[in-house]
Amino acid sequence: MIIIYTVIFAGSLILFQTQLASPVVEDRGRLLPVKMKSVKSSDSEDEIKNIVREANLHDDKISIAGMQHSQGGQTLYPGGIMLDVKQYNKILELDEKNQLITVQSGVTWAEIQSYINPYGLALKVSQSQNIFTVGGSISVNVHGRDIRNHTLIETVESFRLLNAQGKVLNVSRDENSELFGLVNGGYGLFGVILDVTLHLTEDELYQVKTQSISYDEYSTYFTKNVLQKENVKMHLARISVPPDSFLTEMYVTDYSTADDQSLLGNYTTLKRESIIAIPKFFLGLSRTNEWGEKMFWNTQKEYSERINGTYISRNNVMRSDSLFMDYNNASKTEVLQEYFVPINQYTAYIDDLRDTIKDEEDFNLLNITVRYVGKNEEAVMSYANDDMFALVMLINQGTSEESIDTTGRVIRNMIDVTLKHDGTYYLPYYHYPTKEQLIEAYPRSEEFFEMKEKYDPDERFMNLFYEEYHK
Amino acid sequence: MNYRKFIIYQGTIGMAASMIFPFYVLLLKNVGSSYAQFGWAYGLFALTAALSYPVIGKFADQAGDKVLLIIYSWGMALILLVFPLAYEIWHIYVLQIFMGLLGAVQKNSEKTVLARSVNKETAGNEIGRYHIWTSIGAAIAVIATGYLVDFLTIGSIFYIASIVFAWSGFYMMKMEKPLV
Repeated sequence: MIIIYTVIFAGSLILFQTQLASPVVEDRGRLLPVKMKSVKSSDSEDEIKNIVREANLHDDKISIAGMQHSQGGQTLYPGGIMLDVKQYNKILELDEKNQLITVQSGVTWAEIQSYINPYGLALKVSQSQNIFTVGGSISVNVHGRDIRNHTLIETVESFRLLNAQGKVLNVSRDENSELFGLVNGGYGLFGVILDVTLHLTEDELYQVKTQSISYDEYSTYFTKNVLQKENVKMHLARISVPPDSFLTEMYVTDYSTADDQSLLGNYTTLKRESIIAIPKFFLGLSRTNEWGEKMFWNTQKEYSERINGTYISRNNVMRSDSLFMDYNNASKTEVLQEYFVPINQYTAYIDDLRDTIKDEEDFNLLNITVRYVGKNEEAVMSYANDDMFALVMLINQGTSEESIDTTGRVIRNMIDVTLKHDGTYYLPYYHYPTKEQLIEAYPRSEEFFEMKEKYDPDERFMNLFYEEYHK
Repeated sequence: MNYRKFIIYQGTIGMAASMIFPFYVLLLKNVGSSYAQFGWAYGLFALTAALSYPVIGKFADQAGDKVLLIIYSWGMALILLVFPLAYEIWHIYVLQIFMGLLGAVQKNSEKTVLARSVNKETAGNEIGRYHIWTSIGAAIAVIATGYLVDFLTIGSIFYIASIVFAWSGFYMMKMEKPLV
């Protein structure tokens, strides 16, 4: 008995070890499970250098990962080493006078906010949610609700980059400046961002103003009442998705500097994720049927009306709830899309978009938010080639091949419409778009890929995004 | 005398079981991706148990409690070696079916041994005392395992628990018959 048991025990242990040796990793889209050679992480610069050195020695590919909310395998490569930077997350220095902060790239916006809030300082640009790492956000060159500071690259002073050869370079607009526009929005293809110096701004008190409008009034409303009014600092809008009001109703939320800033002290406590059962429930309903979609839209609208006139600090605007969107389903997942379209094209664009998707029975669009991002072409892979509205879409889809095909077809159609209106699309998502669409949206793609070959000829840093599009 | 040994046995397997039960939920979470699957995994466990009780009950009276407890110990020792290898949800479902069966064997045998050994008049007191020791064993195991998982991995817990079950299997095999 004891011999049989020992043999089975040893067998199991060996099998278990081999399984552990090649972990399967997924990003948030859950459409791309990838078998990596290993997952490595460290809080020390020397160890990270070592990982790159070792990879050079053994000709291993490295993919760099933060929170892995990109959905097109930007953090994954089969058989490669996943370098997880989340532990490399110290806040190194705060220069209060010049409003600059230096952090390691694995730090999250939330951690920076907790650190700078007592100093009365706030971030200039981040996503609406604060769960992401700084390194990941730079690599996708994010934008958020701020309408005066546009893309994240504008707020980056400098950073240190560990390149493919294992050397550390200072990168800024003055030093190694070519890399500055490549690493910002570079999807981790040019090296490991080590520490970053970012510009901050003062925390302020905002008054919230919400209003319902029709989609065809939005461009004019935005130009007159938001962009041209100096005291409006942040803005967010939503457009309806239930079938009876498909892409016609909107409500807008503007954040304007409050008249009495002395009240700020009453609002600076950083809010925590509130009880999420209610939004989660309504979002869940909207996944299932039309009636649920209507309920979700109505609750969102009621909520927006309720917060009209209230006050909120800048730091709190930049830490929106995200947990309620967590979605666990065995055969379905939720993917994102983001389209940018010039302000003056908006109405015509929405009309075309509606025509394109209104008859798509199997395409479950749950939510669309609209933000503004001003022109900035500093990054080689810049999406903001004009002053644009950015539409973020949340789509519920199956994980089967058939569902992927359907969603892919609809998304490619939507991108065609977007391109027709001189728009672009955002790159961190699943590789539904074709290479032709990529080149049309990002005319400097070829240059980007050539630069990748120049700086990393051995393809030390690899991911599925590059694999899919560079050839 | 043998009753004391039975308590040692129950205390040991109680410890081993409570090492894994609260924590293998963590494994289910790694493998399963939805609450519905979670529900099914536990549902299958309960359902198998329910269906197997009548058979186990009859068998206990014919073959004796000792045989059943040996089956339980070795069954657990072996099945725990399979757990770390499971990576698909259907693996978990199958394992849960076996776990349901073995769980029912243990539950039923624990009660039949007690029923055969205690005095009707002092049953409350005796069963109360029995539970003290098995519960203390379980409590220590749960707390210690929490630290162990932090230091080792969830996988190693299954191996350690398996060894404990294997030991308990030997212990039970060496025990004289009848148990009480």
